[in-house]
Amino acid sequence: MAGKVIDARDLLPPEPLELTLSALDDLGADDELVLLLYREPHPLYSILRDNGFCHRTESRADGTFEIRIRRAS
Amino acid sequence: MAAALSFEQAPPISVPLRFLLTAPLFGIVFGVFLLWQGPELVETRGGFPALAATHLVTLGFMLQAMCGALLQVSPVSTGANVWRPRLVAWVAHTGISAGALALTAGLAAERLGWLRLAVPVLVASMAFYAVVVLAALLRTSARGATIAALRLAVGALAVTVALGAAAAGAFAWSWPLPVAQLAPVHAAWAVFGWGLTLVAGVSYLVVPMFQLTPAYPAAFSFWLPRVVIGAVIAWSVAHMTEAGAGVRSMLGLVLLACGAVFASVTLRLQRRRRRKLTDATFSFFRIAMISMLAAVAAGVVLPWAEGGLRVRIELVLGILLLIGFFVSVINGMLYRIVPFVLWLHLQKRMPIAPNMNQLVPGARASAQSRLHLAALACLACAPAWPPLIYPGGALFAASCAMLEWNLAQALRVCVRLSAAARGSAP
Repeated sequence: MAGKVIDARDLLPPEPLELTLSALDDLGADDELVLLLYREPHPLYSILRDNGFCHRTESRADGTFEIRIRRAS
Repeated sequence: MAAALSFEQAPPISVPLRFLLTAPLFGIVFGVFLLWQGPELVETRGGFPALAATHLVTLGFMLQAMCGALLQVSPVSTGANVWRPRLVAWVAHTGISAGALALTAGLAAERLGWLRLAVPVLVASMAFYAVVVLAALLRTSARGATIAALRLAVGALAVTVALGAAAAGAFAWSWPLPVAQLAPVHAAWAVFGWGLTLVAGVSYLVVPMFQLTPAYPAAFSFWLPRVVIGAVIAWSVAHMTEAGAGVRSMLGLVLLACGAVFASVTLRLQRRRRRKLTDATFSFFRIAMISMLAAVAAGVVLPWAEGGLRVRIELVLGILLLIGFFVSVINGMLYRIVPFVLWLHLQKRMPIAPNMNQLVPGARASAQSRLHLAALACLACAPAWPPLIYPGGALFAASCAMLEWNLAQALRVCVRLSAAARGSAP
């Protein structure tokens, strides 16, 4: 299992979305992609759902949202 | 994956764009109207031409842009999918555009026939818009400060429309209603209940996102829209029941304090932004927040002013709120929302869409922000020296024309790239 982290907290839209979509192309069956943002990316959630991915979102005390993305089994 | 990007929540491109590209045109009309009316407009504050000018900017520019932006922001950012967005956009856009023109023509020319046409058009279209959008906002499972603020704002829009219809009806059809009390209550619901609450709710979302600032404090975001609506209700009751001047002044200061706190928190967040980007949107927001603080200062000294000075300070306060705060914020948001809408459209048609931030060249947007600031400076000083309305009106019209040009250029780039993508498709 491999993991990749995209720290998009200091990037302007739509760069976080573009980086995430590009990384999803290379995501293996057991890999996990972690996206860090200061907001919940609601548009991304529906894209993930429609394209066979699942995610889990956790919020940190500093206001960071950690979105863990995997291929849906 | 990027080519397969699909925002099921994003409405068709024509839905928000028709509003966002029409708003600056009303700004141009407003500037030309100021030139036509000249200094007399300032000297006869409260007259019909002044009411016409006010509604050109509040209906034609502000309401137009806010309704269009809400149709884009609600589904994409909160999952609130609006029922039949094309129909809602057609009804609201036609109603606002035709209604604003008929209302301002009726007020400027003092023609009851135009007013009798404008009122039902505006009421029917805005009531339909408010009901459909509020239903979408109530149905979504999204939680948080933005969705709560948007719900309260659209509810306040419905109240604003009802009060405006009552005030206009009292004039146009001689309904037995107290116009003198209804008019300021209608204005308070429009400016604070609908306007400030909507700007706050959208700012919670777009300021941290596009200006890379920390988030608005959670307790502040939760309480501000609720306090604003509570204060507008209390202020309205005090006005309608003709409560003492002291009570009304105090409640008016509470409303202004809400604006001051919002502006101060936003300026503080801007100072703490993580990347020192100073683009046109940033400048417009800064102009807006400083204008709000200046308007609050004018509101604080108002109870002590009398006679002609009081009238002039009230006018400065109104100009700072409408042109300084709302038009500036909307201008800044247009430079983010329009490129975002176009980028979404291109993303569905091209493997690699151009950078969203290059659709409107930064130098042209910054030049327009300077024109707007010059227009605001002239108009805010016009109550002290009315001939300033001439450069103010000319600069405002020029600023809105440049805004329209900048947004239209971005649309042209989008159309050209879409056509090229279609041409190269196998």
